[in-house]
Amino acid sequence: MSHSEDVLLRVDGLVKKFGELKALNGFSITVGKGKIVGLAGPNGSGKTTVINVISGIYKPDVGSIEFDGKSIYRLPSHKIVHRGINRTFQVPKPLAGLTVLQNISIAAIYGSQAGNKTETVKEALEIVGLEDAKDTLAANLTLAQQKLLGLARALATKPKMLLVDEIAAGLSSQELQWIADMLIHIHKSGISMIVVEHLMGFIDSLTSDVVVMNAGANLFRGSIEDASRNEEVIEVFLGR
Amino acid sequence: MLSKYYSSLGAIFVIIFIFVTLPFVYNNQSFLFNMMMYLALAEGLNIIYGFTGYLPFGYVGFFGAGAYGASIVIMFLRISPFLAVLAGGIAAVIIGIILFPLLRLSGAYFAIANLAASQALYYLVANPNLQKITQGPYGIDLSSVYNANASYYLMLGVLVFSMLLVLYMRKTDFGLSLLAIKEDRVTAALAGINIVKTRSIAWMLSAFVAGLCGAVFAWFTAVFYPSTVFNLNVSVFTIVFVLFGGMGTIVGPLLGTLILYSMYNFIGISTPEYFQLFYGLLIMILVLFLPNGVVSILQHWRIDVP
Repeated sequence: MSHSEDVLLRVDGLVKKFGELKALNGFSITVGKGKIVGLAGPNGSGKTTVINVISGIYKPDVGSIEFDGKSIYRLPSHKIVHRGINRTFQVPKPLAGLTVLQNISIAAIYGSQAGNKTETVKEALEIVGLEDAKDTLAANLTLAQQKLLGLARALATKPKMLLVDEIAAGLSSQELQWIADMLIHIHKSGISMIVVEHLMGFIDSLTSDVVVMNAGANLFRGSIEDASRNEEVIEVFLGR
Repeated sequence: MLSKYYSSLGAIFVIIFIFVTLPFVYNNQSFLFNMMMYLALAEGLNIIYGFTGYLPFGYVGFFGAGAYGASIVIMFLRISPFLAVLAGGIAAVIIGIILFPLLRLSGAYFAIANLAASQALYYLVANPNLQKITQGPYGIDLSSVYNANASYYLMLGVLVFSMLLVLYMRKTDFGLSLLAIKEDRVTAALAGINIVKTRSIAWMLSAFVAGLCGAVFAWFTAVFYPSTVFNLNVSVFTIVFVLFGGMGTIVGPLLGTLILYSMYNFIGISTPEYFQLFYGLLIMILVLFLPNGVVSILQHWRIDVP
């Protein structure tokens, strides 16, 4: 992590205000090439805001965001996607009136610069296992399937980094294990990740490197084991 | 390879056949012209409403801009009405570009702001202080270049152009990207679509079609007033026709216009009070029970509607 060429994403001093409320108050994070970092914190600590700012959905007020050595600060989402970052949503946002295949195709066509688009779509469908549902309207999928579709849509843009926002929420423990295996498989193909999660167990199955945040700022970075012994982390999670 | 276009091209050929042959057996050219005009306007509105979800209540503003753009060019530059019609289309696109900021609004806010913009344009054009350019409230007289037959077939050309545009949007990645924006802007952006650019192109295309319609209407009618070409009924009729037929398809707006505009001419002109009652009830029924129009019934029976 000490050499700058090993850093894929460097976020520094991020501030995001909503009126008077500072949702992010000087948040920083670095993610190395090919690494997975877990992002944890209590409800309302700003985890999803971090993802929304990095992916360009919200414009930050102060700070810097560098990806692959270049600034992506305040760029619109589609440009950030073209630089190689994509994400999933806690509550899936499929293009409901389009088929699964159309959902993924459009991301392959507009989101990735190079490569055979048909091949890209086929690969994304295979990874998430939605081949049999490819002609189904996205609106008719189950919640778990819509999450997989969101993941496939992100993968079809050929990202270098994936921001995974609370993908476990609302899934059964069996589905959880399956999605964890899938993310590990995706990571092995060379995609770095930030995994936002409420469930420490889910993060633990993916990485040992975790950032804990509270009130829009950094609280802790280190191994999950150390986090579970850290006084401050225990305090914000248990509310003592 | 071309087979995916067959049914759509078939629909376009039927329309051409109808409007080329009908004048020989039915001599109300004005009715046929207006029918073609509303068909083209419905397809033009379909581009922005059917594919992006923006409902432009001020759509008539582009129509009026086209009518006045073409007329001013004819009066001052004395160029061929065919070229002037193109200028009318461009005038509407320029108005569209000026109104780009409205696209930041959504839903009813967009509809109302667009309506207000069209009325502002109406009062600007009708302003007596601009009489040297627009003739102000006294209207336009193009009787020196009047040619009913030429303008009739030019309207058919504009109609075919509008249908080909919608066909293009139905069959290409560009149309799919617009539908994606309509479904969910955030997800569309994360698919890598440049939302501002894409919807602006659709907006300009939609304005261009309305501008062409207004321009040909000006030529066909020859004498008209600001209140004729900025008449809000043009927006309302077009929107109802598209809603009734079913947006997002080529055939939906065609069906809606053919059925409702015919009906308007049979009962609307003889007994206007019943007609307004009928249209009012129809809009209520549509919104409540058939929001995707007549074509949704066909689609429900698994008939592929081009």
